[in-house]
Amino acid sequence: MTILLMIALLLYLAGAFYSIIIFATKSDRPGRELIALIGAGFSAHTAAIVIDWSYLGYYPIVNPKDVSSFIAWAIVLYYLVMSSRYHVRALPAFILPLVFVFTLISLLLPDPGLPLPLVLEGAISTNTITQVIFPVHVTLVIFSYAAFIVTFISGIMYLVQERELKAKHFGAAFQRLPALNTCDEIGYRSLSIGFALLTLGVVTGIVWNNQRDGRYWHNDPKEVMALVTWFIYLFIMHYRLTAGWRGRRVALLSIVGFVVVLLTWLGARALGGYHVFG
Amino acid sequence: MSIVLVGVSHKTAPVEIRERLAFAESRICDALHQLVDRELISEGVIVSTCNRVEVIAATPKQHETEAAISHLYDFIHRYHSCDAATLNKHCYHRSETAAVKHIFRVTSSLDSMVVGEPQITGQVKEAFQRAQEAESVGHLLTRLMNRAFAVAKRVRNETGIGSSAVSISFVAVELAKKVFENLQGTTVMLVGAGEMAELAAKHLLNYGASRILIVNRTYEKAVALAQEMKGEPVRFEDFNKRLPEADIVICSTGATNYLISPDQVRRALETRRNHPILLVDISVPRNIDPAIGDLDNAFVFDVDDLQSIAEANRSEREREALRAEAIIEMEVERFAAAMAEGDLNAVIGAFRREVSALAFTELERSRKRLGNLSDDQEDALRVMLNAIVNKLTHPVIKQLRESEDGHSLYLAAWRDLYHKKGEKDEKDEG
Repeated sequence: MTILLMIALLLYLAGAFYSIIIFATKSDRPGRELIALIGAGFSAHTAAIVIDWSYLGYYPIVNPKDVSSFIAWAIVLYYLVMSSRYHVRALPAFILPLVFVFTLISLLLPDPGLPLPLVLEGAISTNTITQVIFPVHVTLVIFSYAAFIVTFISGIMYLVQERELKAKHFGAAFQRLPALNTCDEIGYRSLSIGFALLTLGVVTGIVWNNQRDGRYWHNDPKEVMALVTWFIYLFIMHYRLTAGWRGRRVALLSIVGFVVVLLTWLGARALGGYHVFG
Repeated sequence: MSIVLVGVSHKTAPVEIRERLAFAESRICDALHQLVDRELISEGVIVSTCNRVEVIAATPKQHETEAAISHLYDFIHRYHSCDAATLNKHCYHRSETAAVKHIFRVTSSLDSMVVGEPQITGQVKEAFQRAQEAESVGHLLTRLMNRAFAVAKRVRNETGIGSSAVSISFVAVELAKKVFENLQGTTVMLVGAGEMAELAAKHLLNYGASRILIVNRTYEKAVALAQEMKGEPVRFEDFNKRLPEADIVICSTGATNYLISPDQVRRALETRRNHPILLVDISVPRNIDPAIGDLDNAFVFDVDDLQSIAEANRSEREREALRAEAIIEMEVERFAAAMAEGDLNAVIGAFRREVSALAFTELERSRKRLGNLSDDQEDALRVMLNAIVNKLTHPVIKQLRESEDGHSLYLAAWRDLYHKKGEKDEKDEG
């Protein structure tokens, strides 16, 4: 439903502007208006996805157009849930422009329409297990990406704020960005959530592979990259838990992790392979 | 009703004068009773802090603000037995909207020595409470003071005037908030006992820090200070052992060398599993090795750093103060308009009562000659008289409400009429 998606896009744009203004003017306004704006956008977006789903008859996340829209939706959902816990004014100013861009990309990308890629054709129509596993796999992976985006943003905020403190330079960023501990906590929490989702996403992907053609692993670039991503985040989690790594080091590593996520998501497409949708 | 005030502040008088004119807290109630004579002065509030004394009053006599002001001068002169020349030299006075503006500015901390410091609003609130207890405030000052508190809140919320620290001891709090966000659950370690360091530690505790450890070379001093601050004394030998517990270290000793080295902090960080540590060095020469700043998760600031933050915040505050002044202008105008509206209603009410009283007095006068009337007839008479009063006064009231420019002129004329009449009545009665 293009019109609903457009409504969502406009509301996200308004939300992005609003949050940037709050951020820039250091206003102490409560975020209720913002949450209302974003909530309305999210409702329109949800309606668009649900209508698409019932119209098409299969889970409507099969091509890059769908994935862009869905990741924007996932980020907004993630933000809405998180905002009840953290009142960080800086966060929406970074997140919402991204949401806007993803939604816009989705609207601008051409609709490849039918026929679907062959592998997906199988996934959608053969048996019930793959019909269930495919949406679960896609949803889990996209939600993990949404969480990693928040980890990435927190990491950047941490590094900027830390530099301000260490350089004893107390400029615009110092006053506007959240405290180091808050950046670290949001980042780590999102990382744990993202890691759990990605783990389940990879497992369901492997199961889906096997259901579809009897092979667990194809050495496809995307499969390999996903595994690399998973190991990077595992590495961070491990040292956080055993050696108490935190702060700057974790922030840097989560930025590295996110770059690999981007490569997995977009770069693997360039390397070819069968896992090219989304 | 008019508002007048006489005051003295850090801007107009040196501390010797201010302390002579200050009102002791315990005696403010008495002073208020002396001030409010219920004739020229109907309401009063006295604000007395170390930086200012403000005697705020309301007078029922609109056109005698000058008399009211000289009454306030007299009151201060008598109360403090201070010669008039000194008072004239150092005090200022305001009346009407200028007084309203002054009170709004003072309450919003725009007239403070450190613009934007938050204490003054609380001090004015306390002064107002004391006046309420002494029953020296009535309708007008209650309205004025409540408005002043609302304006102060608005200024605080809508401008950045109080958002950043401008004194060294508060900068420590600001820095701690930028590392820990919330000071709840943090532990402060105070090394040495400089005045500034103690103040900083107290601010941290006020802002939520949970615990304070006090280290001193002389253990007795640590114990004494710990008692005062409800903290825990720590022996100097135990410093290294206890360092990992500290989230915030404030150091101010007379030592001439570095007391805290990067190695000590590195070990502490390991024990703390890299939870960040903030070290604030208020001693000159410095006691904390600045090289500690190179460690991840350790943040070191010395007195110069604090000073430069305070300086930068101060100029930021001055910019924000301009925005605050605009808010004050707007609010003063609103308050003045609301007061004029209230005045108008009072005059209209007095006028209606007057005419109505006239009509019913005449009725009573003719009552005997009317003979016995049934209840219905009695009612009919009253309804008729009320109708005449309404029809008679209506065009005048309408004219009064509609005349915008001539408003004050009309109002003054009417007020004078009734005011003088009131006085005459009183004389007649006497």
